[in-house]
Amino acid sequence: MQIKKLCIALAIYSLNILAGQAQSTVILEGRILDSKSYPMEGVGIYVKELGTGVLSNQEGLFSLVLPEDLIYSLKISHLGYRSQELSISTGTGFSPFLEVVLEESEMSLQEVVVNGKNQVRELRETAFPVDVVDGKSLHHTTLDLAHALDRVSGVRIRENGGVGSGMNLSLNGFSGRQVKVFMDGIPMDNMGSSFQLNNIPVNLAKHIEIYKGVVPVGLGADALGGAINIVTQTYEKSHLDISYSFGSFNTHRTAVNAVHVGKGGFVAQVNAFQNYSDNNYWVNVDVADINTGQYFPDQWVKRFHDTYHNETLIAQVGWVNKPFADKLLFGATLGKNYAEIQTGARMVTVFGSWHRRGTIVMPTLRYEKKGLFSSRLDLSFNANYNLGSEQNIDTLNRRYNWFGQYKTYDGPGGERSRTLYKFRNNNGLTNTTLHYHLDEKQSLTFNHVFNTFNREGSDELFPDDARYDQPRTNTKNIMGLGYQLRDHEKWGASVFLKSYNQGTHYTQSYNPSGQWGDVAYLDMDNSFSKLGYGAALTHFLKERLQIKGSFERSYRLPETEELFGDLINLSANIDLRPESSYNYNLGLNYWSDSKQSKRLNLSGNFFYRDSRDFIRARLNNNQVMQVMENLGNVLTKGVEADLRLFLKDQWQAGLTMTYQDLRNNTKYEGGQQTVSILYKDRIPNMPYLFGNVDASYGLDNVKLQGDRWNIGVNLLYVHEFYLYWPSLGSDKLTVPKQISIEMESSYTFGKRSRYQFTIECRNLMDSLLYDNFSLQKPGRNFTGKVRYFFL
Amino acid sequence: MKTKIKFSAWAMCAILPVIYSCESNEAPGPENPSNGLDYRYVVTSTPIASDGVADYLLTVDDLTDGTVSTQGNGIEQDGTYRYYVSHQNKFFSLLYGQGNPGAVTTYTLDATGNLQKLSDFQAETVQAFAIVKDDLLMVRIPRNIDTPMASWYRMDTELLQIVDEGQIDLKALKSDDEMGFFTWVTQVGNKVYAPFMSAKGCCGDAFGTNDPDRAWIAIYSYPSMELEKIITDDRISSIGRYFMEGLAVVESGDVYAFSPANTSSNSELNSTKPSAIVRIRAGQEEFDQDFFMDVEELTGGYYLHSWIYIGSGKFVLTLGKPKATWGPGEYFAIADVNAKSIQWVTGVPSADEITSVTTNNYSPKDGKSAYIGITTTEGSHVYHIDAENNTAIKGLEVQGGTITAIRRLEKSN
Repeated sequence: MQIKKLCIALAIYSLNILAGQAQSTVILEGRILDSKSYPMEGVGIYVKELGTGVLSNQEGLFSLVLPEDLIYSLKISHLGYRSQELSISTGTGFSPFLEVVLEESEMSLQEVVVNGKNQVRELRETAFPVDVVDGKSLHHTTLDLAHALDRVSGVRIRENGGVGSGMNLSLNGFSGRQVKVFMDGIPMDNMGSSFQLNNIPVNLAKHIEIYKGVVPVGLGADALGGAINIVTQTYEKSHLDISYSFGSFNTHRTAVNAVHVGKGGFVAQVNAFQNYSDNNYWVNVDVADINTGQYFPDQWVKRFHDTYHNETLIAQVGWVNKPFADKLLFGATLGKNYAEIQTGARMVTVFGSWHRRGTIVMPTLRYEKKGLFSSRLDLSFNANYNLGSEQNIDTLNRRYNWFGQYKTYDGPGGERSRTLYKFRNNNGLTNTTLHYHLDEKQSLTFNHVFNTFNREGSDELFPDDARYDQPRTNTKNIMGLGYQLRDHEKWGASVFLKSYNQGTHYTQSYNPSGQWGDVAYLDMDNSFSKLGYGAALTHFLKERLQIKGSFERSYRLPETEELFGDLINLSANIDLRPESSYNYNLGLNYWSDSKQSKRLNLSGNFFYRDSRDFIRARLNNNQVMQVMENLGNVLTKGVEADLRLFLKDQWQAGLTMTYQDLRNNTKYEGGQQTVSILYKDRIPNMPYLFGNVDASYGLDNVKLQGDRWNIGVNLLYVHEFYLYWPSLGSDKLTVPKQISIEMESSYTFGKRSRYQFTIECRNLMDSLLYDNFSLQKPGRNFTGKVRYFFL
Repeated sequence: MKTKIKFSAWAMCAILPVIYSCESNEAPGPENPSNGLDYRYVVTSTPIASDGVADYLLTVDDLTDGTVSTQGNGIEQDGTYRYYVSHQNKFFSLLYGQGNPGAVTTYTLDATGNLQKLSDFQAETVQAFAIVKDDLLMVRIPRNIDTPMASWYRMDTELLQIVDEGQIDLKALKSDDEMGFFTWVTQVGNKVYAPFMSAKGCCGDAFGTNDPDRAWIAIYSYPSMELEKIITDDRISSIGRYFMEGLAVVESGDVYAFSPANTSSNSELNSTKPSAIVRIRAGQEEFDQDFFMDVEELTGGYYLHSWIYIGSGKFVLTLGKPKATWGPGEYFAIADVNAKSIQWVTGVPSADEITSVTTNNYSPKDGKSAYIGITTTEGSHVYHIDAENNTAIKGLEVQGGTITAIRRLEKSN
C-alpha cells in the first residue's frame, strides 16, 4: 500500500517535471467556515499525497490544482480547531467546490497550555524532549518571556531584582549560557542587553518551545543541554494587538504588534514594546552609617537607584507565500535600554549613580522556501548583524548607603571602578537550514550557523588604554546533519552529527621599550574543532501514551565574553576549552481523549547529565578581576513531572514539579591526590526542588455574547537551598524556602475586535523573596492591563 | 478515565507533603571541646573547589597534633575571598569584595572557647590592613593612575566602628609618571610605615613598573596619618609584595625589611637588585647602610617570598625559585638577622608536592617556633617549625581544604 502510494506520488512528481503543462489537471476550490459560519483565514489545507498545501485567504477561500483521475486525502487543520481529513477523487464524480466547517476543539485558546493542538501536539510528539507553551494564552498577562518560562517544569528563572534586572535561566540542571535561546530559530546570544528574555513582553511570542536536553539539528548552535525557541509570527493574516499596563513601582509597559498581510503576499510588521519601572520597592536591609560603618539593623528602605527602561522596535517588510519564497523579509531590530545599578552581588554593596546603557541596531534578513528546486527540498536562511553597543557609566567618586546618603571623595574615581567604557561586539550571524524529504517518512536536515565577532571598545576617560586591548576577533562555525524517520502512527527516530569549530584571534599588547605610550602586539590564536552526536527515539505504546528516549554528546563553545572578558569585571582567558556533556533523557507523555469533558495530560521526564569542564569564574592572580576557567565536572540526575486537568471549558488545574540532583563529580581537585571532600556533594547555590501549582476558572457569555471572564491563581515554590557546599560547616547560610502566589483576572469581549482588561497581583502574601542570596525581590504588587486586538 | 484522575489526585497528594516537609535535618557539627587553657587557635579553611567556595572558621586547642575537618563543622563566612586579623580576644573577618564595600564580621572567643559573633560593620575592600595601637587601620589602594587617591580608615576595635578616615595621593609619592602602591602598613613605634612599590597603573600592566631598582617607605604620623617623610634605598628593589607585609619590628625596636626583587614590566622581570633583607635602626627613620643580607647569595639563588618573625632576631622565610612576579614560595628556611645567616628547614614537604602555603601564620614569638599551613597533594597540615633544630614537624591535619589563616585568640573572662 505504502509503496503504491509512493509510486503514485513519484509518478505525479515525475509527470509534473517531465510533462509540465501536458498533465491534465482539475482545479479544486473551497471555502473554510467556522461553526458560526464566519470565514476562516489561514487554515492549512494539506494534500498528503503531494506533500504540499495552501492556506485559506481572508474570505476563507482556497484553490488547488490537482492532477486528474486520482484520489487524494486532504487534511484541513487550524490551531484550536478539530482537524478534518477528507478523501476526494479527481476522477469521475469530481466536485469542483468544497465547503468545510471546522469545529472548535474543546480546549479554547484562553487556556494556559495548549496540549491538544495540531502544531503544538505535533511538536510534542517528536522524539525530542520538548515542552511547548502557548504564548497566546498568556497574552492577557503582563508577563515577560522570562516569567512565562518560569511556569514550565524544569525551568527556573533567577533575577537580581525588579524589572530589567540581571537574570539567569536554568533548565534541567544547566544554567546561564549552557542553555541557548533562539527567536524563530535564530540564536539570541549576540543581541545585547537591550533585547533579553526579561524585557520582551510575552505578547511577542506565538508559542515557546523548550527543548530539555537533546536539541534538533534544525536549531543549530552549541547548546550544552537544552534550548528555548521563541516562535513569533506566522503571517497568516493581518492583525493588530495593542496593550498597555500600569502597575506598582511606577511600572509602565506598552506593546504594539501590527501585521499587515496585503494582496499578493506583501507583508509589513511593526512590533514595538517599551518597559519602564522605578523599581523603588521596599527592601529589608542593615543600613551602614555613611561615616562609621556601623549598621542600623533591620531597616525597611526603598530602593532609590534602580530605574530601568527599554524601548525596542522590530520592523519587517517582505513577501509571504510567493513562488520565489514562502517568506522573504527584510527588517531591523532597533532598541536601547537604560539601567541604574542599585546593588552589587550582595545587598551590602549599594550604589547611587552607577548605570549602564545599551543599544541594539540589527538589520535582519529572513528567507524561507519550501520546495526549492524540487518539491523535496526546503531552505531557510537567516542573517543578522548587531551594531549595538554597551556602556558602563561610573564617574562619581562617591560612597552611598541605603538611606541614599553619600559622601564624595576628592579626585577622580568611581563608585566601583571609574569607567565610561563603551564597546561594540560587531556580531554577525547566519543560520542556514536545508531540509530534504527522502520520502513521506524520512528526511534529512542540514544546518549551519556561522558567527563572527570583532570587539571594538574605548573609554574616553582613559583614551590611551584602548589600543592595548584590540583587536579581538572570533569566528564560530557549527554544522549539523540529521536524519529523521517518522511513522505517524507508531514511532519516530532521529540521529544526528554536529561539528563545532571555533577560531579566536587575540592580540596581547605590551609596552616593548618602557617608554610611555609605546605599544607592541603579540598575536595569540586559539582554535579547536569537536564532533558531537546523538539520537532520539519515540514510540507510541498506545494511541495517547508516548515514550521518548534520547541521548547526545554535546559541546558548548566558550562565549566571546568568556574568552575576551568584558574589560570591566572579567579578564580574558584565551585558553578556554568547550564544556561538554553526555545527556540522556527518558520521558512518558499521556493525554486523554480530547472529546471528553474531563481530561488529563500527564508527562514525566527523567534526565541524566554527565558534564565535564564547566566554565566557571574565579578571581585572577592579583584579584582585580574574575577570570573564566574550565573547572569542575558535574553529574546531574533529575525528574520532572507535569500534570494538567481540565473540566469542560471552565476549570483547569496544573502541577509541575522538578527535582534535580546536581552532584560535584570532580574527584580530585587541582593537583590533589586525595579524593576531594566535596566529591559527590550537592552543587551549592542551585535550587534543586521547585515547582508550581495553578488553577483557573473561565466563564463564557457572562454579560455579552462571546465574552469571557477568567480568574487564575498560580503558586510558585522553591525549596530552601544552601548558598555554599552543603557538607561543610555547622553554622551555614541558606537561601530560604520561597512561596509566591500570583493571581490574575481578565475579562475579554468583542467579536472580531476584542478588548481585554486584566488585573494582576504578584507576591500576594507579601513574602520576602530572594532568588540570589540577599538580593530581595518586590513585595506584593499590582498591575492593570488593557489590551485591544483583532485577529 | 475516572480512575486515572483519581490516580493523579493521589499522586498530587503524595508529592505535596514532600514540598512542605523537606526541612533540613542536618545536625550541627561537633564543636571541638575546649580544654582549660585561656586561649584557643582559630584556623580558617577554604575548600579546594571551583565553585561556591566559602571560608570556615574552626577552633582548636592544639596546633601540633590531631585532626579538624570542615565537614559539618565551622562557621561559614559569606563571600569567597576573606582576610583575617585578630587583636586580643577579637577576631575580624574581612571580605575582599573586588572594590565593593562589604561587611566585616567580628567574633570573640567566649569563656567556653567558642566563637561568638559580636557585630557586623561595613568597611571597604582594602588592600592593606594592620592593628595599629588599638585600632584596625585599613587602606584601600587604587591601581589606576587616573584615580590615584587611596583612602584609609581607622576602626576602633573597642567601639567596632570607623572613627576616622582620610585620603592619600599615590601619584604624589612618586616624582615620575608612575604611582606608589602600598604593599602593606606596619606600626613602628608611634608611627605607621607604609612601604610601596612603583606601579604604572595603566596600559594593561597596572602592577608593572619601569622603576624596579629602588625601595621606598612612606612614614606617617599616627593617628593623623600625615606624611612625614619618604625614605629610599637603592641597594634593593621595592619592599614586600602586593598584599604582603615586608616589614617586621623586633624586640629592640629595629625594623627589618625584605625585598623579593620580583618586579616586572609587561610580565618580564626587570629588577637588577637581589632579593635581600635590610634594616632601619630604632628611631633612625633611615635605612641602615651597614646592614645587608643578600638572600639570593645566601641561599644559592632563591628569592624571599614572604616571612614571619618568630622573636630573638629570627624569621621563618618562605622562598621561591625561579623568580616570578606572581609565583609561589615553596621552600622554607630560618634567617637569623643577628648572625646574618640562613639555614634550610628539613622535614617540610618537597616543593613539587606543595600546592599552597598559608601566608597568615602564627608564631608565639619565643624565638623558637612558628606554625605554618602547608597544603600538599596529600592534604593540608599545620607544620610546627622548630628554629632551634631547623626542622619542621607535621602537626594538625585540616581536612577539607587549604588553610587560609592561623591565629591565636584569648578567651573572654
